[in-house]
Amino acid sequence: MERSRNYLISVSVVLLILLVASIVLFHYRAYLLLSFIMIACIMLPFFARFEWREVAGREVVLLAMLAAIAAVGRVPFAGLPSVQPTSFIIIIAGIVFGAESGFIVGAVAAIVSNFFLGQGPWTPWQMYAWGMMGMTAGLLRNAWWLKTVWGKCIFGFVWGYLFGWFMNMWIIVSNIEALSWGFFAGIYISSVYFDLAHALSNVFFLLIFGTSWLKVLQRVQRKYGLLE
Amino acid sequence: MGNGIQSIHPFVMFFYYICLGFFAMFFNHPVVLLAGCLSLIAVNLAHGSGRALKQWAPMMMVMALLIILINPFINSRGTHIFFYFRGKQVTLEATLYGIVTSMSLLMILLLFISLNAVLNGNKILYIFSRILPKTAFLVMLSIRFVPLLKRRLTEIQDVQRLRGMTIRQGSIRNRAKSGMSIMQILLAWSLEEAIETADSMKARGYGMVKRSPYIPYRFTKMDRNRLVCLFLLFNLSVVGGFLGYGKIIIYPMLGTLHFYPLDWVVLTSSLAVMLFPVFVEGREQLKWNYSD
Repeated sequence: MERSRNYLISVSVVLLILLVASIVLFHYRAYLLLSFIMIACIMLPFFARFEWREVAGREVVLLAMLAAIAAVGRVPFAGLPSVQPTSFIIIIAGIVFGAESGFIVGAVAAIVSNFFLGQGPWTPWQMYAWGMMGMTAGLLRNAWWLKTVWGKCIFGFVWGYLFGWFMNMWIIVSNIEALSWGFFAGIYISSVYFDLAHALSNVFFLLIFGTSWLKVLQRVQRKYGLLE
Repeated sequence: MGNGIQSIHPFVMFFYYICLGFFAMFFNHPVVLLAGCLSLIAVNLAHGSGRALKQWAPMMMVMALLIILINPFINSRGTHIFFYFRGKQVTLEATLYGIVTSMSLLMILLLFISLNAVLNGNKILYIFSRILPKTAFLVMLSIRFVPLLKRRLTEIQDVQRLRGMTIRQGSIRNRAKSGMSIMQILLAWSLEEAIETADSMKARGYGMVKRSPYIPYRFTKMDRNRLVCLFLLFNLSVVGGFLGYGKIIIYPMLGTLHFYPLDWVVLTSSLAVMLFPVFVEGREQLKWNYSD
């Protein structure tokens, strides 16, 4: 477990550095193309691990169900703009079932919800952002501060912003030659409201429902001995 | 199986979309990109996505216009100056860059409209089940759960509404709270169900041997020929692109827009790739109408 943890951290950090370095250093024109290749490279090891690992039928079905619930979570909240429990469910899944499962739930939830809302160039970015959200929640689950309610709320708040910032990246990467500080600031300022709504709804859900959802998932985990 | 474009093997169509996505991000000559946009519109019409196209058209128009209009004003690089706006120069380069960027984005969006229609759920999962079998299986299961969960959600919502718990009225706080309570009921209900599903899978022998995929699409000789043709033409275009054809230099100073003979070669070969599904569909139509 320790080894796979170090492996996950090092792979994601190294590849993220590569992504940033290649954008900053190389005078290569097709940045959007490059970013897709990089995202694919970053996500491949996680999926490969999932492919090679012995996964019991129960665990596969459980992960699929969690991803489906996270994706469907957008439905009852359609009336409330940018309030959706998808991130909350992914964070909880990461905390209970660990980093790898958190990544899979996040990435699959992005694919599945886009099958119904429309795939687009944003799909890989969403997969990565939600996957990382689940993964970091799983990696930090033993940290003392994530065990407190306030720690979880801060984690959810920060990720609300990180998710929005990361999703802005795809617009920036596809326009990188035209990049100026004005453009950069404009995009981030125009998304502040949505990011804030996302972050606050994460906090709200984690504050009020965090404990009970954890209980439900931990009960299933202990009762059936899954993904421990 | 369908006919025309729908009957082409998913691998071939997948490769086609990869080629086009690559073109959209690789070339930046306005003529090549325009050809790409027009041929994707033709492809969409050929497989009957006219309605989806109409639905998306306003949004795409607005986005393209916004990029074209805004870019020259926030970006003042370039040497051919049109006029000064609040002390900042508005340049030909920046305008052209806006046009090129918006066309390349348009092309990608058009591509995805076509992809959503042609490589629908089954086909795209078929492709990935060959590369990442377990992940594709998981995604497939998950997609199957979505309509089931939606049905359960309506059921839960109907029951909870009788208790006065609704997402439609009240303060945002209360609406979010009742929405989440509904989700929690769904979670408790569905997790138990998921375990039952898994047990029934196990009873039928899941995990005993390696999963063998059901292959609903036959890779015919015709598909192989198509794939080879696409591959060769794609490589020709990309090699041309690496030599600088089909591209223009915008920053720091606008290069020439002139079309050299080799530019024509690149344009022709990439156009042949872009219009490939139209050829297939057209051939089918001709056969249908004129053969006896």
